[in-house]
Amino acid sequence: MRLEGSALLPAAREKVYESLTDPAFLAKCLPGAQELTPDGPGRYKVSLKMAIAAFSGKFQGAVHLADERPPESFRMAVEGRGAPGFMKGEGTLTLFENHRQAPNQQSAQTEVRYDGEAQVGGVVASVGSRMIEAAAKKIIQQFFDAAAAQLSALAKAAKK
Amino acid sequence: MIPSSFEYQAPKTLDEALRLLGRHGDEAKILAGGHSLLPLMKLRLASPRYVIDIGHLRGLDYIREDGDHIAIGALATHAQVAASELLREKCPLLPETAAQIGDMQVRNRGTIGGSLAHADPAADYPAAILALDAELIVQSTSGKRTIPAAEFFVDLLSTQVRPGDILTEIRVPAQRSGEGTAYCKFHQPASGFATVGAAARVIASKDGKIEDIALGMTGVGSKAYRASAVEKMLRGKQASGELIESACAKAAQGVEPLSDIFASAEYRRAMASVFAHRAISAALARAGVHVNAKSATAKPSPAKTPVKKSAASKPKGKRK
Repeated sequence: MRLEGSALLPAAREKVYESLTDPAFLAKCLPGAQELTPDGPGRYKVSLKMAIAAFSGKFQGAVHLADERPPESFRMAVEGRGAPGFMKGEGTLTLFENHRQAPNQQSAQTEVRYDGEAQVGGVVASVGSRMIEAAAKKIIQQFFDAAAAQLSALAKAAKK
Repeated sequence: MIPSSFEYQAPKTLDEALRLLGRHGDEAKILAGGHSLLPLMKLRLASPRYVIDIGHLRGLDYIREDGDHIAIGALATHAQVAASELLREKCPLLPETAAQIGDMQVRNRGTIGGSLAHADPAADYPAAILALDAELIVQSTSGKRTIPAAEFFVDLLSTQVRPGDILTEIRVPAQRSGEGTAYCKFHQPASGFATVGAAARVIASKDGKIEDIALGMTGVGSKAYRASAVEKMLRGKQASGELIESACAKAAQGVEPLSDIFASAEYRRAMASVFAHRAISAALARAGVHVNAKSATAKPSPAKTPVKKSAASKPKGKRK
């Protein structure tokens, strides 16, 4: 299935780029991830826990970053395998300065547009198919909400 | 097809259930009829450590009159709601909706409280509950809260019912004079869920003016919602086929429709309009107002008499 959309993050484009390609930062945004363990260039091992209300599943997987063109775009692939099945998502994240923002630096915002393909297999897919797309969007939203919260927290800490 | 191991607990009273739930927090799930939770557990999409079975609690499956409301215990099954003479007379939208849920086994086991607390985006009850402006009563060890239907559904599978809470009662207002209601549903042929479901409640004057209208939609987006754009266009207006048609074009306004192998987002949006139109036309007809609707589904029936399920509840026309 195709997944596309966008999210607004409260930081300047360079900062957002740097953060979204930083394994320590990603570990705090990917649902249920504790740590990204390096596993070759641009590759990290990760364990994920997806949860949406009553649905939950644990996955062992990997995150792969490629085609890095700071501060404009990069490709990110996330895959996981677990008892409920497997999932795989790959797409391009493109960063835009948000021109609607106020000119002062402190309220800098960056729009992140994502466009990618996702595949889900196993029992999740066979029965959950009715809700998979909605669930995938929700997980992406959880990711960007966590990223936004992290960036706000960093900005606050920097001010002190 | 075999769930992860869990501890099964079957409390004898509601208080005991609340205490257990208070102790285990989000590690526990409440089991009522089991027709939403058990399939998830068998697929290991849900693996609660504790399952607290409230299905055996006595006295929580009542349907009774309480002032100008009808109070329904959370453990009332869909079949009980569908067959209730009291509801057919005082709040016919609910039995009409219940009769269209799933199949007979689901209706005999599934409960109104379980369905609402699970909040499947394609469940039928949420549309009716929203159209009726129902109230939902939730209890925990720290007390009781009343949540208006409009605030109950938060997101995909998420409601205001928090870990530690049990939804215990649903309160719906009794039908007023001049009121007509209808639930029209596009059945997913395999699952019986609503690809799109529309529940309409209208209050019309004798000369055909729509005094008030409520339209609850389910199956379209990640949660059930009130189609307020449609309501706004129709409230206070003289009912006419053209007006209803143009209002219903906004049935999915502001909603990002779901998309799956059976129905694309675009198709769901289109069907939302079609089924909203059918539900409103049928509700108006039951309130005694007949519009020149080419796709009207309801046969005229005397207002305020309970409508037999088969008469007008099912969308006529082809099932797609």
